[in-house]
Amino acid sequence: MFVAEITGNIEVLGKGIMLGAGMIGPGIGVGLIGNAFMNAVGRNPESAKFLGQILVFVAIVELMALLVFASLFIVK
Amino acid sequence: MLNSFLSRLAEDTPTVHIAPSGLFEYRGYTITNSMLFAWLTSLIFIVLFIVIAKRMTLRPKGGFTQIVEIGTDFVTGTLENSLGSRQMALKYAPFFVTIFFFIAFSNLFGLLPGVGDALTYHDAPVFRAFTADLNGTLAAATISMIMIQYFAIRESGFMRHLRHYFAGSLKNPLTYLAGIYEVLNEFIRVGSLALRLFLNIAIGEIIIAVFSFLGKIAAPLTALPFLVLELGVCVLQAYIFVMLSVTYLSLAIKHGEGHEADDEAPPITVQKLAEKNG
Repeated sequence: MFVAEITGNIEVLGKGIMLGAGMIGPGIGVGLIGNAFMNAVGRNPESAKFLGQILVFVAIVELMALLVFASLFIVK
Repeated sequence: MLNSFLSRLAEDTPTVHIAPSGLFEYRGYTITNSMLFAWLTSLIFIVLFIVIAKRMTLRPKGGFTQIVEIGTDFVTGTLENSLGSRQMALKYAPFFVTIFFFIAFSNLFGLLPGVGDALTYHDAPVFRAFTADLNGTLAAATISMIMIQYFAIRESGFMRHLRHYFAGSLKNPLTYLAGIYEVLNEFIRVGSLALRLFLNIAIGEIIIAVFSFLGKIAAPLTALPFLVLELGVCVLQAYIFVMLSVTYLSLAIKHGEGHEADDEAPPITVQKLAEKNG
């Protein structure tokens, strides 16, 4: 007995759910990094020189977002 | 007539390549298009930098030489910040500066006209950026990691480098577990370096392909912002690759022996206070 039946392409549905749910984490993560950086610069304007280091952390978090985007092409 | 012109512009799906396509065989090895482009990039790179190295003078002269000087200074400054002293930075600078410029050039050459589906040979693109191929970035990350291990062993000896992983008393079985985990961590770092570079560049190509497909006649206009974004991403990803490699090197060399000497003035001793007051 079916509660709900999906007619149509379930692959596209799966890909959409994976993409949407997967991008929440990195989005929040990069926002948190920006928040911390802005707080630090607000307290001590000399710490704006750490922008290069911050971008390295952003790249580490972006890796997760890109993994989700790349698995879009791997999952059938 | 307009119909046939428009129907030639419209395609079904944007053409996206993730894996490189083989071009021809040579004694049983398949030569792929990214291998060919890697050789071409290396050749251009070697010739260009030999010419530039001869043109470097003490006073800045402007032009492309100055861009190379700025990049070298940047990477050497990063090395100096991580490793601590200028002479150690100069010892390892050639390798990291080369990796920085080679990866930046490889990324940028993937955006040139002609690289991609414009020139095809038996339905496969002839040129394809070296870093837009997982094999290429895996090679770059593996070589970086091997060189980092070689530098660390040359710096502190083989047994001491192993003790860096298996830190703690040798009779404690937990040391071996932690050591195995640390070695596994090194391999994961290779994978993450390779995947980060490959995914950034390949997804940039995919985004440009999708947006060129969406704007059928106005494709140059719709893809232009993403092209500019890709220019930034190319140089940024090269910098991040080198920055992370330098961080791994500094982690492997510094064993937590102790803090370096402070640069502050020595504290005032009781004798000096007595001299001042009396």
